[in-house]
This record gives sequence, structure tokens and C-alpha cells, in this order.
Amino acid sequence: MLKVEDLTVRADAVELVREVSFEIAPGERVGLIGESGSGKSLTALSLMGLLPEGVTAAGRATLDGRDLVGVPEGRLKRLRGRDLSMVFQEPMTALNPLMRIGAQVAEVMTLHGRGRQEARARALDLLERVRLPEPAHIARAYPHQLSGGQRQRVMLAIALANEPELLICDEPTTALDVTVQKQMLDLIAEVAPALLFITHDLAVVASVCERVLVMYGGRVVESGPIREVFTRPRHRYTEGLLAASKLTPRGTRLPTIKGSVPAAGHFPGGCVFRNRCPHATPECETAPALTGDGHAHACWHPAD
Amino acid sequence: MTLYLVKRLAVLLASIAVAGVVVFAFMALLPGDPAEIALGVNATPDAVAQLRRQFGTDRPAVVQFFDWFGGLVQGDFGTSYVTSSPVGPQISDRLGVTAVLVLGGMVVALVIAVPLGTFAAVHHRNPLGAVISAVSQAGIAVPAFLAGILLVFVFAVQAQALPSGGYVPFAESPGEWLRSLLLPWLSLGLVQGAVLTRYVRSAVLDVMREDYLRTARAKGRGSTGALWRHGLPNAAIPVVTVLGLQLATLLVGAVVVERVFVIPGLGDLLLNGVAGRDLLLVQGVVMVLVAAVLLINFVVDVTYHLLDPRLR
Amino acid sequence: MRGRLNAGLLVGGALVGIVVLAALASFFWTPHDPTFVDAARKLREPGGGYLLGADKYGRDTFSQLMVGARTTLYVGIVAVGIAAVIGAPLGVIAGMTPRGWLSELIMRVNDLVFAFPALLLAVMLGAVYGAGTLTAMIAIGVATVPAFARVARAATLQVMVTDYILAARAAGRRRPAIAVRHVLPNISSVLIVQASVSFAIAILAEAALSFLGFGTRPPTPSWGRMLQESQELLFSTPRLALWPGLAIALAVLGFNLLGDGLRDFLDPKLRRIRAEG
Repeated sequence: MLKVEDLTVRADAVELVREVSFEIAPGERVGLIGESGSGKSLTALSLMGLLPEGVTAAGRATLDGRDLVGVPEGRLKRLRGRDLSMVFQEPMTALNPLMRIGAQVAEVMTLHGRGRQEARARALDLLERVRLPEPAHIARAYPHQLSGGQRQRVMLAIALANEPELLICDEPTTALDVTVQKQMLDLIAEVAPALLFITHDLAVVASVCERVLVMYGGRVVESGPIREVFTRPRHRYTEGLLAASKLTPRGTRLPTIKGSVPAAGHFPGGCVFRNRCPHATPECETAPALTGDGHAHACWHPAD
Repeated sequence: MTLYLVKRLAVLLASIAVAGVVVFAFMALLPGDPAEIALGVNATPDAVAQLRRQFGTDRPAVVQFFDWFGGLVQGDFGTSYVTSSPVGPQISDRLGVTAVLVLGGMVVALVIAVPLGTFAAVHHRNPLGAVISAVSQAGIAVPAFLAGILLVFVFAVQAQALPSGGYVPFAESPGEWLRSLLLPWLSLGLVQGAVLTRYVRSAVLDVMREDYLRTARAKGRGSTGALWRHGLPNAAIPVVTVLGLQLATLLVGAVVVERVFVIPGLGDLLLNGVAGRDLLLVQGVVMVLVAAVLLINFVVDVTYHLLDPRLR
Repeated sequence: MRGRLNAGLLVGGALVGIVVLAALASFFWTPHDPTFVDAARKLREPGGGYLLGADKYGRDTFSQLMVGARTTLYVGIVAVGIAAVIGAPLGVIAGMTPRGWLSELIMRVNDLVFAFPALLLAVMLGAVYGAGTLTAMIAIGVATVPAFARVARAATLQVMVTDYILAARAAGRRRPAIAVRHVLPNISSVLIVQASVSFAIAILAEAALSFLGFGTRPPTPSWGRMLQESQELLFSTPRLALWPGLAIALAVLGFNLLGDGLRDFLDPKLRRIRAEG
């Protein structure tokens, strides 16, 4: 359904995302993990056609055969909010402070051809579907009258309004209280048609997704079913990431990642991880390709 | 909201009352006795005393104040000691002219500032946006009366297309009325438009960085549509505040522009009053202008609260 | 980014510098006596020692501009001085006790003064004491107090929630000490920017007052009055309006650019608090 091939994102001469390829099947929930600066958010924004000014995407991405990259804005905006939609990280600022919630939910439907009356009525159903109490009351409220968790549910309602084929969530629970994070994640997993879920939190991705893509330095360095990648990581970066998290069993001691993520444009040539990798050899100066069926990795010296 | 309105209204009325005390106290400092001035140096003490009684200036200042202010509340501005004609009608005659001048200037300013400021914000990365910023920066440096003189030079002296001054009442000839006001409107509006352009630009720039604009685009709006539907209403909130401050500035600017174009408005009346030492007239005009500024601030504050649901 | 030179600072500084230099030089030398009336040189064309020509009384325009710069700066300095000395402390007090009755009183009085624009104050003062440079300066200064107080208050409110102030308060320092040792130094850059912007507005106000006859009195040269005197000759000798007009506009532009430039130079974060007109 979603097919991404050699997606590259640039700001002037600096490559922020390089030759990223992956697919998402209908109903599949895929996680995209990596630290900040790994290019995961830019990957998502380029699929939506919402890259910031001065940042451009090249390559090919299609949703059911319709092109998403290198397409004029006029055609893209007809897909946005209808065939694919997105929930952002910061719910506090994502809604227009001057508009009532109901109108903001209805807007996404009237924009794509639904009648005003119908959209208003359906907005209430959607608010109920994302488990907001008293939908009629919420619809009349302004954003500042809702909590962060409630606003993120509203964003989810907007995203789901036109029954999209793909939902993209960019760190949707990071800004929320720990107590409401779990509810939100369960809700997303339940209602998402097909999901691209972006996070830096390994535990979160494990609870929501079936498959995972690990990004570092603007590239996908490892991909595969969650269980396999997390129990038997191949790429040395994934290995380090897991070691640094609490997912590893107690007692095992694995080396954590030394140094810190370089700034954009300052990653080494060849394997982007080689300046921080304990297993790097001169061979790593040549970029490794992402190889393997199902569970793939891009590393010259993979773990066992 | 109702509570806020009541409180704000109370502040407005109290401010007007205090302003009345200030204006009255100021004018009470004025050296010279109106009765002596009116009768000249050769007047007999009896005649002076009699006129004082007639003017009411023999009473204590506090009584005089309440007499004056009480009259104001009922629209009675008193009778001039100098011309013996009532002050109120003079002011109301001129008030309309000044109001039309100020509002016309505001319209010119808005017509310039909203499109240009928005354009400069949307194109802040390209040279044309920078040119607009630079021109507005230069426009701010030109006082309204200088703009008036420049406009007269271009349109009256060089092109001979518009009158260099004078005022024709609307009832006399609507066409000439318009012609006589065009340059004054432009003098006030061009300068304020330059100032406002900067504020519109920065308000729109701020709004363009907001997440909800990205949300609107994620819903399927184009960037222009998102700016119109979601951006500009939000940008309007800070702009309304500046607009209120500017209306006050325009009111004062009108005083000077009336002088440049010989327009019989409140400013002209005020300056004539000062020149003729017409105490009650000056007092009355100053009071009207100050009350107008306070009223404008009140309207702006209330509008602000109406526009922003977070303050309701 | 602190301390980086920028275009506004350079251009604004240069324009202000020219005005200051012209004013200082006028104390020692002007091409001619700016107030000397000579019917023989009436409306003399530029040239021959009269760089910009002479006005209807035969006074040298260039010399008048130089001495006019002095008047402009004099009024600006005193007016901004009055506004800063009264407005800044009031703003700091209001900002340090945001919920107290004193703060409320200060801001209410502030709003009231705000309703009396410089021009009205000057006309009222002029009516009572006779119009002149002094009444103009006082009127402009008093009318500028609210702008200073508001900006100082906004900046103080921001400074008061920073860690070092909280630490000083936790250490039991008294309010006046905190105000002098911590608040003032930290809001000084905001005040400097406000001073520059207010200076530009004071120049505009002085010019308008002199134009109306409520400012500097003859024979002392003033740019605003030069403009007023030139108006009747606009049809025959427009250059008489051109030069003082240009002088006013460039001086105001200079102080405005300097203010913007200083804001970026001293602290880019200041963009949040805008100087008020």
C-alpha cells in the first residue's frame, strides 16, 4: 500500500535523510525509531508534503500507486487528511486557539467534500470514538479548555475523520503525562487503519507495532519484526540502543553507545555509525547496503 | 465576560472623571482672571466683580469644577468668556470633521498595511519582502505633516490635480468634499500604514510558525488557505491592539494635519482657542480628545477579549 | 549572537552620528550666523558660500540646519531623560510586586497619562506657561513615561522568575537590593533600546510642536519651524521644505534603526519585548 523507495531529504547541500526505502501493508503497524536528529520526523513530513521551508525531498513514495513526492502541492493537498493523515508531537499548540473543537474536526471533512451538516454530526461521533467524554460538550469547547491528552485525542479524531488508509503518528505521547500515555497508545493501536509510528521510545514501539525500522544518521540501519529485532539485533547501533534501554534482561551488560549524535551534515562517510562503533574497521568506510529478507540490516560486522 | 465588561466600563468612567480633574486643575493654573481680561485694563472693580459673578468664577474652584463637569455629562460645555457663545455646539460641529479625517486615515492605513504586511511576511525570504520592510521603516520616519507637505508639493503644486488646502462640507458638494479630504487622508494614512505594516508583518510571521497552521495543511488546506482561515484571524489579535494605539496617534496627528490643510476640525479649534485665550473652549476640546483616547482604549480592550476565547 | 554588528546598528549609528556631529560643530562654527536676517540675501539660491541657499529672511539654511540639530538633540535628551528617570523605576516596582496595590496604582495612573498625548500636554502647558522649548520637553517627557514604565515592567516580570533572582530572594535579600543589584542590570538593554525608539518619537513630537508654534520659539532655529515657515513658499521655493524635512526623516530613521540594531546586538531574546511608541 505505502511504498517508499530511495527517499532522500535535503536542506541545501546537506543530506538529512538518505535513500530510505520501506513498505507498509494495509493494516500493518510499523514503528520508526531513532534518536533526535536521525531523520525520522523528516521522513514522515516528506510523505505528508509538509517539509519546512528550504527542505526538499527526492526519490519515490506512493500510496496505492499515487505519488507523494515531487508532486505539485495542489494534488498533494487532496490526499492530505483524506488518504493519509498525521498526528503531531505537541498537542498543546496543534489546534487553532480561536476555533471551537467541533468546527476544527468538521473542517477536515468539509475540506474533502462532505456537507457542513453531516460533518458537524460526524464530528460528534468521532469525538466519541476517540473516547472523549461528553462529545457535545467538547465540541463546543475551545482548545485551551482541554487537557493535553484530550487535545491529542481531538487530533486523532481529525486524523481519522475521512477514514484514511494510513495514519502517521510523530511521538504522539511524548508530551503527555505518563498516566495517559498508555491509554492513548492503546487507542491508536486500536483505531489505526495502517500505522507509521515515530518514536524514540523502544518500550512504546514494542507495545504498539509489529514491525520496526531503526534510523540513524538519516538512514534505515536495521528493519524487521519487532520481536526479532529486539531480541536479536544485528546492527551495532540497534544493539547499543537496546543496551541503553531497560528492555535488556537484568544482569546482562552490553557496551552502551559512546559519544553523541553528530550534528546534521557531520556524520562520517561510509557507515554513518562508524565513528561511534566499537567494531568499526577500515571496511566500514564503504557504505553497507541494507540486506536481508524480513530482518534486514546495513552493517559490515553484524552481531552474531 | 460580563463581569469583565462591567469592570472595564467602571475603569473607563473613573478615568474620564480623573482626566476631567486633571484638565480642570491645569486650566485653573492659568494666570489672569477671565473677567479682567474680558473687560480690559480700564474696567472698574465693580464691573469686574459683577462679570465674575456672571461667569461664576467668584465661587470656590471645587464648586466650579462640579459645575463644569456636571455640565459636560449633560453635553453642556459652558459659555465662552471670550466670545460669549456656547462651547458645546462649536465642538460638535468640528468633531465630525476630525472623526471623518481620522477614520479615513485609518482606512488608508489598513488598506496599505494588511496586504503589504502579509505579503512581506509570506515572502520574508525574498528581496521584495525586504524592500517592503525597508520602505515601511523609512515611512515611519516621516511625520504626518511632512507627508502632507510632500503630497501637496506633488499633487497640488506639480500635478495641480488636488487642492493644497481648504475644506468643502459634504452637504455643499460631495465631490469637492472628497477632493478636499484625499490628501489629508493620505498624509495620515501613509505614515500610519507604514507603522502598521511592520506590526502586521511580524504578527503574520509569528503566526506562520505556529503548529496549528501545519495542522491545517495536514487536513488538506494549501498554505494560502491555511493562512487565510487560521493564520490571519490569529494575527489580528495583536494587530487590533496596535490599531487602538494608532487611532490615538492619528487623533493627535489630525491636529497637525488640519493645520497643514486648513481644515476646520477639533485641532484647528483647539489652536484657535489657545491663541484667543479662550479657557473654556481649550478645556472642552482637550477633554473631548482625552475622552476619545480613553474610549478607543476601552473599545480595543473589549474587542481583544471578544476575539480571544482564552480571555472570555 | 550577542555582540554581533548588524546593518541597523551601523546605518542607524552613522545617521545619529551625523546629527550629533552637526550639533557639536554648531557650537564652534557655522557657515553663517543662522539667525542673521538680511533682506539682500532673501531667498538666495544655493551656491557661493550658501550651500543650501537662504530663506525668506535671508538666513542661511545650512547653518540653521546645524543649529536645529542641537535643538532636536537637546529636546530628545531631556524628554527621554525625564521619561526614563520616572518611568523605569515605576516599571521595576510594578514588575517586582505584580499583585500589590502599588503596582495596580502605578499601572492605572500610567493608563491615564497615556490618554494625554505629548501634543495635548504641550498645548495645555503652553497655554498656562507660554509655549517654548522647556514646555515642549516636559510635555514630551511626561507623555513618554508610560511607554518606559510598561516596557520596564514587562522586562522585570521576565527577570523575576529567573533562577538567580529566586536564589537571591531565597537568600533573604531585600527587595531594593535585588532591584538595584539584579533587576536593573538585567533589564538595562531593554531600556537602552526603548530610549533609542523614544528618542525617535521625541524628535517627531518636537518637530510637530514647533510646526504648530508650540515648540522652540524664534529666533532659535528648529527643523519643525523651518518646515512651517517654508509651507507658504512651497509653490515657489520647495527646497526650503526639502532640507528640514529630510533632516527630520533621517534623524528619526537613524534612531529607529539604532534601536532595532541595538536590540539585536545586545540580546536577540529581546525581540519578545517590543519597544513601545
